[in-house]
Amino acid sequence: MNRRYHWLVRVTHWVNAVALVVMIASGLRIFNAYPAFGRKGESFCCYPFHGTPIPAWLTFGGWLAGARRWHFAMMWLLVANGLVYVAFLWLHGEWRELAPRRGILRDAWEMVKFYAFVRKDHPVQGKHNALQQLAYFALPWLALLSILTGIAIWKPVQLSGLTAAFGGYVWARYWHFLLMVVLSVLSIGHVFMVLTVDPYSLRAMTTGGYDPARTPERRNARPFYHLFAKGPVEGAPRTEERPNKERSKDERQKEERR
Amino acid sequence: MKRRQFLKLSGAALLAACNSRGPQAMQHVLSYAQRKNAVLERKLLRADKLDRPKASALNAGEALPVYFVATQIPVWNEAVNGPWRLEVKGLVRTPLSLSLAELMKLPRVTERVNHFCVEGWSAVSEWTGVRVSELARAAGMLPDARAVDFSSFDVGMTENGDEAAFHESWDLESAMHPQTLVCYGLDGAQLGPPHGAPARLFSPIKLGYKCTKYLTEVVFLPAPNGGFWSDVGYEWFAGT
Repeated sequence: MNRRYHWLVRVTHWVNAVALVVMIASGLRIFNAYPAFGRKGESFCCYPFHGTPIPAWLTFGGWLAGARRWHFAMMWLLVANGLVYVAFLWLHGEWRELAPRRGILRDAWEMVKFYAFVRKDHPVQGKHNALQQLAYFALPWLALLSILTGIAIWKPVQLSGLTAAFGGYVWARYWHFLLMVVLSVLSIGHVFMVLTVDPYSLRAMTTGGYDPARTPERRNARPFYHLFAKGPVEGAPRTEERPNKERSKDERQKEERR
Repeated sequence: MKRRQFLKLSGAALLAACNSRGPQAMQHVLSYAQRKNAVLERKLLRADKLDRPKASALNAGEALPVYFVATQIPVWNEAVNGPWRLEVKGLVRTPLSLSLAELMKLPRVTERVNHFCVEGWSAVSEWTGVRVSELARAAGMLPDARAVDFSSFDVGMTENGDEAAFHESWDLESAMHPQTLVCYGLDGAQLGPPHGAPARLFSPIKLGYKCTKYLTEVVFLPAPNGGFWSDVGYEWFAGT
């Protein structure tokens, strides 16, 4: 069976999963020491939950110093792992599978329509569907911003230029928090979709094995729909699994007419 | 181990880890990272890098949090302890014992700077006092001094349940930074007991817990000797 993901991608994926969970949970424990934004003596425009702590079960580290010890150690693993992953994407050319191509927004909209039952058949896709592609493309950039805003609030005096670039210490802390929210939402959405649409990708992401007859495209799978089917399922596009970029414009138009 | 078993076990481990301090075996890895981070922080430190709050930032004033480790605001008891004096000693040619009036006669500096708290908040205040580097000059700091310990008459319980007088030691470079002051004035008024009277250490280049209040001693040392918070797990360097 073909290996759907290179071993480096599989390893960095799971290392990242652990590191990200620890970073977010310990970060939330740090946040709980002052669950608010704004300088003392000033109000802050843009955070409606001023003073409300994050539920303790979502946090990690036990106490402020414990959480900081985890946060400031795990950051190195997260950064090193991320660098290995991005370097691989670049050197191995896999970034082409993630970089948005022309029409990606239209394709993403078609996926939304499919998931919303507005459209019957699963849109034709390459290795990933357009929504996945957008999410996986955005992640390294969001991670980069998270790291930079993190450094900005770690060193607001020694690296004051960086902190100023994010609007100063208070705003940099706010962006760091918001980026965490975005990363959390994307990650939760990702896990939900894996479990309810393509649980077979769990195997693809661990041992690498993947049955081409079980792609969401071949199963015409939406969340909870056709989970255990073996493709092609009625309504699924009758095409060989091939990345979109390899298809000619003609071919694509033909498919659309079908 | 079957994959399903493994997933179940790791799930359980993850749940058990929530809101805990994490696996004990990892603690020495975390301490190692903390030490390496301190090395990096030291490299990032620039003696001429000053904190300059935004002009639009408001002074915290009354909103500046009051903080000490004792159970109530520490006040120097003159009847028991005699008049308050600041001792400058250790690796110096001429140890000093300064009354507040004598301290105030030394070259005076006022700095409007940020306070960065380990908890995540910040506050802008205007601090008046004497540079620690000025005290070092006045006492004739010896060349083998590498660290400075700032101790306090604030006595409280540590996280470990021991009673201890507050102190925090600093690397010499941070202590000699031009914005590191022994302060007796806050926002144009004399420093009051809630914020560390008669005198306290303040600097924007360290997290707030490094800035000893209710100061009694400035001791120049050949090596750092920890501190109230850094001994129980908070970063010792804690630069900003």
